[in-house]
Amino acid sequence: MMNMTETVAKGRRTLIIGLGNLIVSDDGVGIHVTRKIREMSIPSIDVDELPASGLELLDAILDYRKVIVVDAIKTERGNPGDVYALREEDFEETVHGSSPHGINVATAFALGRKIVPERMPKEVVFIAIEAEDLVNVSEELTATISRSLPKIIEFVLRVANEPTRA
Amino acid sequence: MTGPIINDATVKTKEKKITIDPITRLEGHGKIEIFLDDAGNVANAYLQVPELRGFERFCIGRHVQELPVLTNRLCGVCPAAHHIASTKALDAVFNAEPTETAKKLRELFYMGQYTHSHIAHFYALAAPDFVLGPSAPASKRNVLGVVDAVGVPIGAEVIKHRSYGQKVQEIIGGRATHPVFGLPGGVSKQISEEERLQMVEMAKSCVEFGKFTVKLFHDVVLANKDYLGLILNQDAYYLETYYMGMVDKNNKSNFYDGDIRVVDQTGKQVVKFKPSEYLDIIAEHVEPWTYMKMPYLKSVGWKGFEVGPSSGIYRVGPLGRINVCEGYTTPLAQAEYEVLAKTMKDLGVKGPVHHTLAFHWARVIELQYAGERMLELANDKSITSDDIRGAFNPPTEGVGICEAPRGTLIHHYASDKDGICTKINMIVATTNNYAAINTSVKQAAKALIKNGEVSPGLLNKVEMAFRCYDPCNSCGTHALNGGPALEVNVHRKDGSIVKTLSNF
Repeated sequence: MMNMTETVAKGRRTLIIGLGNLIVSDDGVGIHVTRKIREMSIPSIDVDELPASGLELLDAILDYRKVIVVDAIKTERGNPGDVYALREEDFEETVHGSSPHGINVATAFALGRKIVPERMPKEVVFIAIEAEDLVNVSEELTATISRSLPKIIEFVLRVANEPTRA
Repeated sequence: MTGPIINDATVKTKEKKITIDPITRLEGHGKIEIFLDDAGNVANAYLQVPELRGFERFCIGRHVQELPVLTNRLCGVCPAAHHIASTKALDAVFNAEPTETAKKLRELFYMGQYTHSHIAHFYALAAPDFVLGPSAPASKRNVLGVVDAVGVPIGAEVIKHRSYGQKVQEIIGGRATHPVFGLPGGVSKQISEEERLQMVEMAKSCVEFGKFTVKLFHDVVLANKDYLGLILNQDAYYLETYYMGMVDKNNKSNFYDGDIRVVDQTGKQVVKFKPSEYLDIIAEHVEPWTYMKMPYLKSVGWKGFEVGPSSGIYRVGPLGRINVCEGYTTPLAQAEYEVLAKTMKDLGVKGPVHHTLAFHWARVIELQYAGERMLELANDKSITSDDIRGAFNPPTEGVGICEAPRGTLIHHYASDKDGICTKINMIVATTNNYAAINTSVKQAAKALIKNGEVSPGLLNKVEMAFRCYDPCNSCGTHALNGGPALEVNVHRKDGSIVKTLSNF
């Protein structure tokens, strides 16, 4: 599926991948963020977007050295626009829960580490953005999240440029 | 490994209402409510689907050519099916006959989707119940537990072939998850000889993986008398319904194109109709406690959650398709279809297979077919032709139907003369199955929960009654998200909750 040259090249690169649904308002914030970053054409950083999660996400991240996943989140007392950086271990509790087609992010990554450990990234950071509207069908972000975009992008790039944790 | 855990210890509950919420391993939010009577037996059970966000309204006023891309955003599970049904609806709206090359490319793409989707369901969602056992602890009863039990090399094959399905969709559709290639009368992109050869290799491997999966199903499920007992359990998992699915002109199963055939409880054809006639055949019933509508056969009528010839409830999906067809066009799928038919006949079953858990067997046969059909189409050198777009006419109104992995999927659009969408109606696979799913849940709950005795394993066996439909509530209510899924509530007669099980 993938030739060696590509694998080696990817092995030194960082992937920033936005998740979400572009027609459910702030649910698409991850993709809005990655599209802006893509326009910057930064060497050594690949940018991708994905409207799904689980095993599709596993497919997308294989062979990268470092992966940053950007997605919307809704927490109980969060303020829209807040940004959290989470690690895989933060999702351990959810390994046995369910999500699209039964495989959530944590389960998919655990599966990857079991089956293709050598192709898994050295480091994965989840950047979760507190959303305001995850209910209404709309192609627009809410004003609050729209205003927060520059700050979010700056944060994502800062995390991307930090040295990879082993 | 130790053997699968079929049963676990029950505890007597004094409660009268059981809720399962969210349904584990099911796309979209859902909740099962089980109501007990004074003796602790099941009086009633419902699968509630609580969300609605009016996706149809969002589409009105858009250009109809945007719909194959907008409708496939309904959820992340079967976007390819929506893309195909939508593209076929555009063929009808623009009165555009796709070229032969375009038809083949669409179908080849679609075999990629089936490969991906059926592998995910069988190995990640169904296998935990059959490899680890329906009463294994929930912490083990998942795909990671399956890999631990069957070994990493098999797990790697699963992941590899699932990704082949994705790759075929990506080559033809532009993107694997939300494809963009369907146009009225054709497709947007020609494929190269190199890409065709790449797909031939992947398809060959998928055929072998199909054989492997069929064998695994025999070795792990059918050879185990406890599982065979579950499948044949007529008290918990057996409904004599009508069936619906797509067939070709010889009544062989087809996922991409053909007429829609309906058979009755004895296997006799009730009707065979063209997509444009669906409103003459299907009507929709509404219940106050759920957002999802319940389609039924108009000519028979709605009789509540009852089965038999006088109730218009029908089933779609792998079980529906295997019951309406007279076999498959590919040799390995046909051979396994004959094995299923003979096995059932030897067990005294006449006519259609009404055993709900046989959905899994039918799905495995379809995985084999998808691999074989993928190889046939990829081997056809004419698919690299540049004749990928046919002529089209001014837009009017049209219906497109395909078989989503979960069942018959209907898209119906009307357009004004400028191509602006003025009307949209969709009946998705899980909606077609919704009345039957409810009936199955109630049947399983009644058969399995007695005298207030419940356990996690028992409640999981209730879940198995609907999990085999591979339901996807997210697009059933056109709700768009793919969040976590189910809660089971057990209620006392007064409505108070006895016990709640959930996975979040």
